Amino acid sequence: MPPYKTGLLKRKISENTNKTEDNSSNSSCDDHNLITGDLDKEEDSSDSDNEDGVVPSDTELDGVVFDSGDSLLSDDAANESLEESSDVSDSEEDEASDGSNEESDSDKSESNTEGTNANTAKSKLKPDNEDSGAESGSGSALRPPRSPRSSRHNTNKKPFKKKEFKQTKTVADKNANSSVDALEQKIKEVQVNIQPVQEKDEYESGDTSDEEGRVNTAGEVPRWWYAEYDHVGYDADGRRIARPPHADRIDDFLRKCEAPDFWRTVRDPSTGQEIILSKKDLELISRIREGRVPNAEHDEYQPWVEWFSGEVLQTPLRAFPEHKRSFLPSRDEQRHVARLVHALRMGWAKTRRQLADERRRNKELKFYDLWGSGAQEEQPRALQRHIPAPRRPPPSHAESYNPPPEYLLDDKEMKEWNSLEETPWRRKYTFLPTQHSCLRAVPAYPRFLRERFLRCLDLYLAPRAIKMRLTIRPEELVPQLPAPRDLQPFPTDEVLQFRGHTGLVRSADFDPAGQYVVSGGDDATVRIWEAGTGRCLRTIELGEPVRLVEWTPACPVTQRAVRVYDLVKQELVRKLLAGAQWLSALALHPAGDNLLLASYDRKCIWFDLELSSRPYQTLRLHAGAVRSVAFHRRYPLFASAGDDRHVVVCHGSVYNDLLQNPLLVPLKQLRAPPPRDQLSVLQVRWHPAQPWLLAACADGTLRLYA
Amino acid sequence: MADQAEVQLQVRFVTKQEQYAVPDSPYAIQSNVQSPELNNLLNAILKETKPLIQKVVEFDFLVCGELLCTSIAEHLQEKGISTEDTLEIEYLERFPAPKPQECLMHDDWVSSVHTHGSWILSGCYDNSIHIWTTKGQHKLAIPGHTSPVKGVSWVSIDGDQASFASCSHDQSAMLWVWNVARNSVDCVVTCRGHDKGVECIAVAVDAKHFATGSWDNNICLWSASLTDEDNVPAKKRSKPEQGNSRTPKSTLKGHREAVSAVKWVDYNTLLSSSWDHLLKLWDCELGGIKQEIAGNKAFFDADWSPLNNSIVTASADRHVRIYDPRSTESIVKTTFTSHTGWVQSVRWSTTRDTLFLSAGYDGQVKLWETRSPRTPLYDLTGHEDKVLCCDYFDFVIIVKIALKSLALVIPRTPLYDLTGHEDKVLCCDWSNPALLVSGSCDNTVRIFKAKHATASA
Repeated sequence: MPPYKTGLLKRKISENTNKTEDNSSNSSCDDHNLITGDLDKEEDSSDSDNEDGVVPSDTELDGVVFDSGDSLLSDDAANESLEESSDVSDSEEDEASDGSNEESDSDKSESNTEGTNANTAKSKLKPDNEDSGAESGSGSALRPPRSPRSSRHNTNKKPFKKKEFKQTKTVADKNANSSVDALEQKIKEVQVNIQPVQEKDEYESGDTSDEEGRVNTAGEVPRWWYAEYDHVGYDADGRRIARPPHADRIDDFLRKCEAPDFWRTVRDPSTGQEIILSKKDLELISRIREGRVPNAEHDEYQPWVEWFSGEVLQTPLRAFPEHKRSFLPSRDEQRHVARLVHALRMGWAKTRRQLADERRRNKELKFYDLWGSGAQEEQPRALQRHIPAPRRPPPSHAESYNPPPEYLLDDKEMKEWNSLEETPWRRKYTFLPTQHSCLRAVPAYPRFLRERFLRCLDLYLAPRAIKMRLTIRPEELVPQLPAPRDLQPFPTDEVLQFRGHTGLVRSADFDPAGQYVVSGGDDATVRIWEAGTGRCLRTIELGEPVRLVEWTPACPVTQRAVRVYDLVKQELVRKLLAGAQWLSALALHPAGDNLLLASYDRKCIWFDLELSSRPYQTLRLHAGAVRSVAFHRRYPLFASAGDDRHVVVCHGSVYNDLLQNPLLVPLKQLRAPPPRDQLSVLQVRWHPAQPWLLAACADGTLRLYA
Repeated sequence: MADQAEVQLQVRFVTKQEQYAVPDSPYAIQSNVQSPELNNLLNAILKETKPLIQKVVEFDFLVCGELLCTSIAEHLQEKGISTEDTLEIEYLERFPAPKPQECLMHDDWVSSVHTHGSWILSGCYDNSIHIWTTKGQHKLAIPGHTSPVKGVSWVSIDGDQASFASCSHDQSAMLWVWNVARNSVDCVVTCRGHDKGVECIAVAVDAKHFATGSWDNNICLWSASLTDEDNVPAKKRSKPEQGNSRTPKSTLKGHREAVSAVKWVDYNTLLSSSWDHLLKLWDCELGGIKQEIAGNKAFFDADWSPLNNSIVTASADRHVRIYDPRSTESIVKTTFTSHTGWVQSVRWSTTRDTLFLSAGYDGQVKLWETRSPRTPLYDLTGHEDKVLCCDYFDFVIIVKIALKSLALVIPRTPLYDLTGHEDKVLCCDWSNPALLVSGSCDNTVRIFKAKHATASA
């Protein structure tokens, strides 16, 4: 039996006992006797050795139980068994007589109420329980098998036997009334004997040990392990629990027919004992089945105490202030909501209504529109791009049927009107203002039909259309380039002239430190100058005109120069195919990979060698042939000089990032000296450290720009 | 201008020169008056209040800390000051116009010039050094260097014996002793330590050592003692043809381009300017950099004045800039723009803290007042070529004027443009408070006499 059930049972019993005490005050006299007798017996037993005192009483009960089981099989068998049992032990008879006594009592009470039958039985239980309650071991004493008990049986029985005999004599004749009755009695007795032991202990002693003792301690093992034995397990004290006698279907059927309580008899699977459920138990089960609260005592409609209500109490139960969380919006919820909203917006998630709509749409039957012309039909063509008709000016006073006299044409205006017969569009009005006495007098418009017809022709022959017009301003076509003043420093002015050469200066170069300048020209001299002041320090006479001078480069450059030359040569081959006709000069960016070519056909061509073998940009900055180009070694500057009397300085920054193209910005056009023999500047060179530009000019000077 | 002419101004005249003090009473004047009218007014007041002053004194007027060059109304408009308050006008005696005094003809470009006492020392591109008197008398031409001389500086003049130092493109600096009485010169020590041409030289205030800056990006410090027993090993002394040579006491490395100028700030601190756009202040004992000021262009020259503790620089553009050596940020205090070519040389006045001299490739030497940033006080025109050097001088010596022109650029306003050179002026010198000396590519050194103002004398 599940623990909660036992608990409930106990409670019921306690109630029952109370009730029975109230109800059967009359019938309880015998019971009292019985009780007292029992008590006496128990006292005796308790006086005597614990085990000895208790065991016999229980074993008797046991015996009764099992006998009763047997007796249920058949009347005859029951009788026999009764006899046998009486043979086996006196105590059984005693018990039976006891039971019969009780039966007789309960019979009287039964006449009052049917239900009290069980109650009375239980009321009888109580004293027993009390007895066994005094003895904690009494409950557990039920289990032990008979065999050990039989040995001490006689000796133990005797003391209470005497007492019981006195009582039994009074009811002896009734005892033999009917075997069926006896069986019933016995069943009740079983109930009486079994249940009280279970229930009573806790009330009296609060000790649950006996309850545990009733439990089969064999553990969670398959029941068939005990199939070969005549016991089904062990109780708490290690005594065997006897196997209940086997009852087949026929027995069950017979019991069903005979025993009125069969329908409420259940078998405890662990101990094999049959338990008849009390009315309370049945009520409990029925309540559970109906889904109500099992406890009948429980008042479902007791007044509700609203512990957690919205109303503000005068003296609040919760004295502490509200937590900050309670008035801060939850971040997590917010995030969750945001995610949901985002999903809804993006169409990943759909609201229930949308889903329902979709489902409904899917459910609808779809038919292919055999006669439909296509998707365009869904939208009427005219509405796709509606062009509102131009708004006409509101009618003026002249258009009125009764215009003010100043709008009417006078003679002079009428003459003009008539004179413009041939060119009606020059007239002041498209109509002739006319005065009518009333609206009714206005005649029908004579050209109505014709104008309506022309209008229809207009609509048909000259539909309005949207004319797309590109609005591109010329400034937007120019690439966004930084302002030159943000790209300083770069040379802006001529600051020095190096005078000395008498012929045109073919070539010039700075020394690596930037202190000196070397130049050579057609006057067959090579001159060395101080760069900062323009002082000619030395003049070297050569027999022949000088084509090219170059300061001895620093050592590490030489090898690279050769390699670069190879590269350049390759590119030149491709280049000639690509662009310019006659190349005049080339300059290599100090970082490599970028090459600037000057050509006689007025172009400077920038190659990004990593980008492609085609020109990255072609700069048309000169009006004449470009003679020379040069890169600055430190600043992102390059310069080109041409025959057009100009030296052009450009910003050309190259990025390490391969994705970023070089930025080329023309910065400054420097004026070169006037040409001599159609030559102006023959070579440009950059100062190695400063943003200074040196130009070798045809008029025999070197010019420094800074 | 028309409506501004109507405006009346309440002005009050104040001065720091007590001999010219006038009563502290406000005067109502028209707002369109310029400094000559103010000058007349002030002289009239002075004549009433101080009968002792007989002559007419020329004054300059400072309005809101800046020299008045235009009409008061325009000046106030530029400054953004209301014309309704009483205006305080400070006046001071005008620095008199320097007069061209002498022209010292050389055979070649004059690269550097230095004056001390009555002697002028000039370095020339024909590898020679010249000594002149301030009267224009040529005392001595000294060949010695094998390349153009780039810097000269007097070390000391002590009675009959004078010593000076020079540096040249031949990678050496030389220390010379000049016997004034016998007019004989002797090279005492040749200082070798630079790998490239030596560009500039500066002698310390105590004349015990000097510094040179060179194209090899280094600054070398040398002892200036004429006897060399302490720091020259015996081996080197024994070399006959080189004479005595000397190695640098220490080398200051840090610049990345040529050092264009070195100047002593005090006995321990050295100011250097370089083509790498940096001014550096060096601690000579520790050999480290005290401070660095970055400019935008290569510096050609720099000078420091003890009177106002600021640095004036000439760089590879038309502007003269003044820096504050105490500020850590490279902020230009004032920019002076009037030259039309590169400015090659700048010198502070040694007596007036607001005056300095600049010489440029436009052949002009200009005298500046720091409170007048837009226009120089005087343009000293006379050089026909680049002025390479200038110096500022002390003596009042009347010499026959050999100048082509002396133009006061805007005679009404206090600016002086001393013309005379026909080419680039390479150097200027103002070591002597009354003489402004400049050397040029037109092979001349020109001397301008600064007449002593009675107040500043």
